[in-house]
Amino acid sequence: MTDDQGNEHAVVRLTRVRKEYGEAVALDGVSLEIHAGESVAVMGPSGSGKSTLLSMVAGLDRPTSGSVVVHGEDLGTLGEKGLALYRRRRIGMIFQFFNLLDDLSALDNVALAAQLTGTSASHARKRALELFDELGIAGRRNTYPAQLSGGERQRVAVARALMNRPAVLLADEPTGALDTRAGEQVMDLLLDLNQIGQTLLLVTHDEHLATRCASRVIELVDGQVARERALERTP
Amino acid sequence: MSAVWPASRAAVRRRRLQTVVIGVVVALSTTMILVALGLLAAASGPFDQAYARQRGAHLVATFDRNKVSDTALTEAARGTEVAAVAGPFGQATLDLTLSGPPLSVVVVGRGEAGGPVDRLNVWEGRWPDKPGEIVLNRNPVTASTGRGAPKVGTTLTAAGDTKLTIVGFAYSVSESADAWVTPAQLTALHPTATQMLYRFTQAATNAQVAAGQSAVTAGLPSGALLGTQSYLALRAVATGEPNTFVPFLMVFGWLGLAVAVLIVANVVSGAVVAGFRHIGVLKALGFTPTQVMAVYLAMISIPAIIGCAVGIVVGNVMAESLLTKAFENYGAAGVGVPIWVDVATMVGVPLLVALSALLPSLRAGSLSAAEAISAGSAPRAGRGLRAQRWLSGTRLPRSVSLGLGLPFARPARTALTLAAVVLGVTSVTLAVGLGKSLTTYQTAASRAGAVDVTFFAGMAKTGPQMAPEGMPPEPTAKLSDPADEALLRSTSGAQYVTASADLQMRLAGTKQDLRFTFYRGDSTHIGFRVLAGHWLDGPGQVVVSERFLRQHGLSVGDTMNLVSDGKTTQMRIVGKALYNSGEEVLSNWETLALVAPKTRANTYEVQLKPHADIDAYVKAVQTGDTGIQEVPGQEAGTFVAIVLATVVLLTLMLGTVAALGVFNTVVLNTRERSRDLGMLKSIGMTPGQVTVMVVTSMAALGAIGGLLGIPLGIIAHRLVVPAMANGAQVEVPAFMLDVYPAGLLALLVLAGITIAALGAWIPARTAARTTIAKVLHNE
Repeated sequence: MTDDQGNEHAVVRLTRVRKEYGEAVALDGVSLEIHAGESVAVMGPSGSGKSTLLSMVAGLDRPTSGSVVVHGEDLGTLGEKGLALYRRRRIGMIFQFFNLLDDLSALDNVALAAQLTGTSASHARKRALELFDELGIAGRRNTYPAQLSGGERQRVAVARALMNRPAVLLADEPTGALDTRAGEQVMDLLLDLNQIGQTLLLVTHDEHLATRCASRVIELVDGQVARERALERTP
Repeated sequence: MSAVWPASRAAVRRRRLQTVVIGVVVALSTTMILVALGLLAAASGPFDQAYARQRGAHLVATFDRNKVSDTALTEAARGTEVAAVAGPFGQATLDLTLSGPPLSVVVVGRGEAGGPVDRLNVWEGRWPDKPGEIVLNRNPVTASTGRGAPKVGTTLTAAGDTKLTIVGFAYSVSESADAWVTPAQLTALHPTATQMLYRFTQAATNAQVAAGQSAVTAGLPSGALLGTQSYLALRAVATGEPNTFVPFLMVFGWLGLAVAVLIVANVVSGAVVAGFRHIGVLKALGFTPTQVMAVYLAMISIPAIIGCAVGIVVGNVMAESLLTKAFENYGAAGVGVPIWVDVATMVGVPLLVALSALLPSLRAGSLSAAEAISAGSAPRAGRGLRAQRWLSGTRLPRSVSLGLGLPFARPARTALTLAAVVLGVTSVTLAVGLGKSLTTYQTAASRAGAVDVTFFAGMAKTGPQMAPEGMPPEPTAKLSDPADEALLRSTSGAQYVTASADLQMRLAGTKQDLRFTFYRGDSTHIGFRVLAGHWLDGPGQVVVSERFLRQHGLSVGDTMNLVSDGKTTQMRIVGKALYNSGEEVLSNWETLALVAPKTRANTYEVQLKPHADIDAYVKAVQTGDTGIQEVPGQEAGTFVAIVLATVVLLTLMLGTVAALGVFNTVVLNTRERSRDLGMLKSIGMTPGQVTVMVVTSMAALGAIGGLLGIPLGIIAHRLVVPAMANGAQVEVPAFMLDVYPAGLLALLVLAGITIAALGAWIPARTAARTTIAKVLHNE
């Protein structure tokens, strides 16, 4: 996304975001920008505020102070319904533990995201099938989550996240519950997505994942941005 | 087991919501059960106890002294059917004067208060032992003690100049007389009849009492028997109203019990499932399977016992209030719930709860620690998959189709919740039908709509007549009876005019006064529904109610001897009409001519032409006769109002219990599925859609519950209404049962949906407000 002068606009912009949980401060004046097509990894020790930061961008939680603007929308101005619509249209989320609905087939789990927007079941399934093809899991479309491997479940979760063509793909420890091989496959998938222009925001402990998929790393310590560095992706 | 108690208390504290739900459900159910059982146990208790204590007469018979001798009566009573006999006693009907108008009373000459039959309770003063003394029959509970009421020492004047001093008050549960004097005193008062009191070896039914009567009157001269009074008639009067309550209270009590058991089973099994991790931790700490089971039993029993205790207190208050109301005329003061009902409820309800908790508690005990810890709290995957797949392909909004699929994930819980909703809808259906039947009956019995306006002209100066309540006893009309009727007929707007006069008469051989209404004019248009026989069309005819027939052991076609002002008139029952009084008799002007020919009409009932102005009509009539007064319209009967209020109360209680069951299920479901709900919100499900999804999951059960509960409610209605009618001694016409039109049935389906939706609403809203970040990150 660029302005008239060709300058890149930030897809995600956090300005002095502070988040308190009672006495505890999870984020302490964090400001950052993520531009279209970027892949940014947020790293840091446990309790540093990584997941809280992701929740702010996803509109899952609200900052105590500061502002979060995504794709031009100031999340602070949105009500609960507005935030839900925002999540539907602007972002896709991938979780460490997949968070698939056990009683829906893989295909229906993915189609669900589109159906919530009012898309008909047949259209939603058609779009889901396209994603299954692209992600190489077309043969598992009618399988239930309990029958899928960890890597397959995460691919289904990625497909669901991409269903509504989000502006930003948010991933919270996407390889944290996977074995090495499955983790590598998911990393490849994320890399491929980024290379075709998908903006990524990853939260991870995994240096390998960060260096593999991200072009920039933001390190959080005690809720503050301690360091920010650009990366040369490793093949 | 010392570790069980702290673990149980901790479990109760941790599950406050479930604890409260169990307590409230058990309290409401216990209240309903106790009221139903208490009423059933006490309904005939006071009368039977009093009757047994006094060795009350199964049959009080009055004979004509001129036709049968005392010796013949004594001989006739020697049959094997007779267990005990008292009499012959001389009997006279006297006008006793204290102050004001004379009172007509039945006086019997008896030498003692005791004896083999009808042992009188002399509760104040003493029994008369010489002429000039009298004892009055008074109920110790209801006897008036106010100004003007007779007291011991008061002197009454009888038969012109005989002075009788009250020496005591006695109570006869057999209602054998109004007063007693010594036999010598009665001889001086010139008895006209002889009283015999019988107890039979078999007297449980009308047929057995009738057989006994035939045995003791066999061989006596024709016409010697003037009248009889069966104890079954007294019993029916005493227990009539409670018997009416009992059938529907029992149904509501059992419904309440069933709902309570289902919901408790649901709550307990839910608690076990939700507590898998907790069970695992307990086992890891070293709790044995028995201790784990004990923790879960105690967790349920604590609120159940508290709820039961509250329910017993509330149930006793409600039952005592209903019983006192029902028996107040009978004099059964302090009628309460028998202690065995309290004990049975106190032991039975917690036991029932514990039994319903036992199975899931056994399951809790049998889980291995690892199994329990790893099982987590989510429902097992793979249930209801076909249903979900089919629903996801429908055109329904996704939040709705997801909601419809949720009940399939927990089939056992769904079945229990569905059963609770079915019973809730059954209750509502029964209650609505009962309410409609009662109001339909009340409308028909009160003849609402048949009479537009009623006028009161005042009483004639002759005859023992009665003015309507709130109306002056003296004549007020300025015109004569024929002139008033002509005025009413000629005034613009009149369609039908029916004149009537009221007269008090007594059924020969009894001490019960009957209120006769004699009609003249368009009496076929005043709204009485004839259920058997025909309406009045000739002299000497009467029409009575089902209750009257039952209370007096009579049938349509029978003949009665009625006494008024010392004159006996024979009347034949030609029909049975729909009204609910055992003391009112309907007759016609030709019959009145046989009893009191010069009586004027005191009441005029007028039906106006369609669209006629009632106010204008009344004004025009009162201009023509300034003394004629308009009588206020009929009001709903107190009894019907009590029953309706009780129905509404019990329905609300059962509906609340059923809704609590749904509430509990939704709380369990949403807690188990909090991760799924968080995920759905993370992909854009709005709070409104979450609410719709959760409410839909229960509304679907509500709709199914409606479809199943309605037929059950209608069946219950078909059983309860005739049973109630039987208790109230009322005929059940078909229109009282046909109270479910199609529109109402459609509305009743909504009752199930409403119960379910109301129960689901609060936990659904809570689920919709869940903070997603917290749920998704607390893996």
